Amino acid sequence: MIEYPLETALPSQTFGFVSFSQVSLYQIGITIAFVAIAIAFSAIVREKDDIHKMLLIDLIEITGLVVIVLIATDLAEALILPGLVVGIAEIMVISELWLAKEELQQKHSVRKLDIEVMQTAPPIIGLMLAVYGIFLTGFSGGLIAALGLMIFFLGKNMDERFAAVENAAGYAWALWVLAFLIFMFIPSQWFLAVMLAAVGILLKVMAKMSLVGTMRGLNNV
Amino acid sequence: MFEQRLIQLPFGDIVHSLSGYTVVLFAFAVMFVVLAIISLPEKPVDIVFGTDGYYTKEIPVDLMKFQRFMAIACGIATIGAITTGDVFNFTLFAAFIGILNVGIVAAVKNKPVLDAAFSYGLVIMMATVPLFAGAAIIGATCGTLSIGELMKAGIHAPIVAKLFLLVGVLGEGMAPFYIGKAEITRSPGAPYILMIHVSSLLLFLRAVEIFLMV
Repeated sequence: MIEYPLETALPSQTFGFVSFSQVSLYQIGITIAFVAIAIAFSAIVREKDDIHKMLLIDLIEITGLVVIVLIATDLAEALILPGLVVGIAEIMVISELWLAKEELQQKHSVRKLDIEVMQTAPPIIGLMLAVYGIFLTGFSGGLIAALGLMIFFLGKNMDERFAAVENAAGYAWALWVLAFLIFMFIPSQWFLAVMLAAVGILLKVMAKMSLVGTMRGLNNV
Repeated sequence: MFEQRLIQLPFGDIVHSLSGYTVVLFAFAVMFVVLAIISLPEKPVDIVFGTDGYYTKEIPVDLMKFQRFMAIACGIATIGAITTGDVFNFTLFAAFIGILNVGIVAAVKNKPVLDAAFSYGLVIMMATVPLFAGAAIIGATCGTLSIGELMKAGIHAPIVAKLFLLVGVLGEGMAPFYIGKAEITRSPGAPYILMIHVSSLLLFLRAVEIFLMV
C-alpha cells in the first residue's frame, strides 16, 4: 500500500483540506478508490468490442471522480463539476466519432407526434411554464421555462432555422460573463451584476434547452 | 530558471505567470496560433503509381473551417496550460487539448483516420482518471492547488500524485503517435495538423516545469 505524507505535510498549512480526524478515512477511501480503478482498468484490457469499451471507460471516469470527491470539502464540489463536464464532453465526442466511423449517423427526419392532445395542450402548458420560469429567473427558472418551450416545440412541425435561438443563447452567455467581470472589477455594482447574471443564465438555459424539443434529426438542428 | 517570474496576473492565491522558461513556450504557442489563422490549407498531391501522372486533392471549405477552428482553440488551450498557476486548471487544459486534438483529426471522413481518432479518444478518456486523480491527491495532501503557494511553502507533492499527473499528461499528449499513423500519410489537414504536435510538445514541457516546482 502507498503511504501519503499527510502528517508531515499538514501542520505547515494555512488551510488544510484534510483534518487529522479524517486522515485515516482518507487513506481508507483512497485505497478503495485505487482498487476500483484497478478493477476498472483490468476490465478495459479484457474488452474488445468498441461500444462496450466506450461504456466501460465512462464508468472508469467515475472512479476518477471518486478520488476528487475524497478531498471532502467545498473545493471537491468545485472540482467535480469541471471533471464531470470534461467527461461528458469526451463521451459525446467519442460516441459521435463512433457513429461516423460505423456510418450509423441518422439521416432521415422523424415526424412530430400526430395526436390531438399534442395540438391543444402544448401551447397552454408551455406558456404557463415559460411565465413561471421567467418569474423565477436564474438557472432553475431557465430550466422550467425551457421545459415549457420544449413541450411547445414538440407539438409543432419545425422547418425554420434555429440559428437565431442559438445566437440569443450566445449573447445571453456574454451577458453572464459581463456580470462576472462586474463582480470582479466593480464590486460596488453587485446588484446590477446579479440581475445581469440571472437574466443571462435564464435566457441561455432556456434557449439551449428548448432546442432539444426541436431535435428531429433534421439538417438545421 | 523556474523561480523567476517575468509576468504575473494574480487571481486570489492563483497566480497566472510566465517565467523565463514558459515565456518561450508561450511565444511558440502564439506563433502557431497566428500561423493557423493566416495559412491556407495545403493540397496533398498523390502520384499515380507506375505512371508520371498525379492528382491534387481538393479541401472542402467546411473541413478547412472546422479544422482551423479546432487548431486555433487547441492553441489557446495550450496557452492556458502554459500560463495557468493552478494544478487542477492545468489538468483541465490538458483534457481540452486532448478533445481538440481528436476534433482536428476526426474532421476528415476517412475510415482509417476515424479508427485512429476513435482509439486516441478512448486513450484521452482513460487518461483523465490519473490526470484528475493526481491533481486531487495534491489538493488533499498539500492543502492547496496553487503552484505559487506550493512553491512558497516548500511543500513537496507526494510522488504518487506526480506520477499520476505524468501518466495523465502522457495520455492526453499522445496524439502525434496516432496522427503519425493515420493523418499525415493518408488525408488532408496540413498545416492544422501541426497544432497537434505543438500542443503535445508544449504540454509536456510545461508538465516538466510543474513536476520540478511542486
